[in-house]
Amino acid sequence: MAEVNQQGCLFVGEGVVLKGNFEVPDIASISGVVEGELTAKQIIIEATGVVNGKLSGESIDIRGEANEFVSSTRSLIIRSTGKVTGSIHYSEIEIEKGGHLHGDLNNLNPHS
Amino acid sequence: MSIFSKNSTPNNGEDKIADEQLDGYAQSSSTEEEIIAATSSYEQVSRAETVNRPGIAKPSIISEGFIFEGTITSDGILNIAGTVRGKITAKSVLIDASGHVDGELNSDQLVIKGHLKGEVNCEDLNVGPLAHVDGTISYKYIHIQRGGKVSGKFIKN
Repeated sequence: MAEVNQQGCLFVGEGVVLKGNFEVPDIASISGVVEGELTAKQIIIEATGVVNGKLSGESIDIRGEANEFVSSTRSLIIRSTGKVTGSIHYSEIEIEKGGHLHGDLNNLNPHS
Repeated sequence: MSIFSKNSTPNNGEDKIADEQLDGYAQSSSTEEEIIAATSSYEQVSRAETVNRPGIAKPSIISEGFIFEGTITSDGILNIAGTVRGKITAKSVLIDASGHVDGELNSDQLVIKGHLKGEVNCEDLNVGPLAHVDGTISYKYIHIQRGGKVSGKFIKN
């Protein structure tokens, strides 16, 4: 999917450490370490990926680690290898068995 | 009846019909009885099986429409389809789609398909797609199915 059209995408390879604020129009795929704010339409944190800071997007898929803050307006999936700590805001959530969740969970539209 | 009903008597035809009808009725009722007897014996067999099977205990059930206020303590399985307000301690708890729990809940295994509000302490947590969970949840293993509405504080032990 990402190989076909890489326009507007961010890829952080394993071993790469990125610090700062990032605005990504399309897909952000993180296998390395990101420190700071990351906003993207779709965020994938691979098994080796770590994000320390603020993570916001429509669809977020976590196989690695996300600390501090996660906000997803469409769907948030924490895979079995995923680890999320801090404040979490979501509209639809799925946690696979084995996923790690530690923190405050908030539903963005609780009466739907 | 048998002594008086001879073929020679004039009103014998009617009698015979009445007799037959009675017989038919008696037969049908006896078959019903047999069916009831059969089902009850089947129930007995199935119950005996559950009792004999090691490790699988019969669950305690709070049925739909039943409201319980207080403390429940069980070493076994608890199925909640009604409403419980108070403290629950059990080995395994299932909150059905119609079930509501408001209070404190301690269990090894917890499956939530209905509504839960309060403080939860469990090892294995499974939240179904139609569940509503709100409170402080401390767990060891968690699984939330897509669509489950959860909010509050989550603590992994």
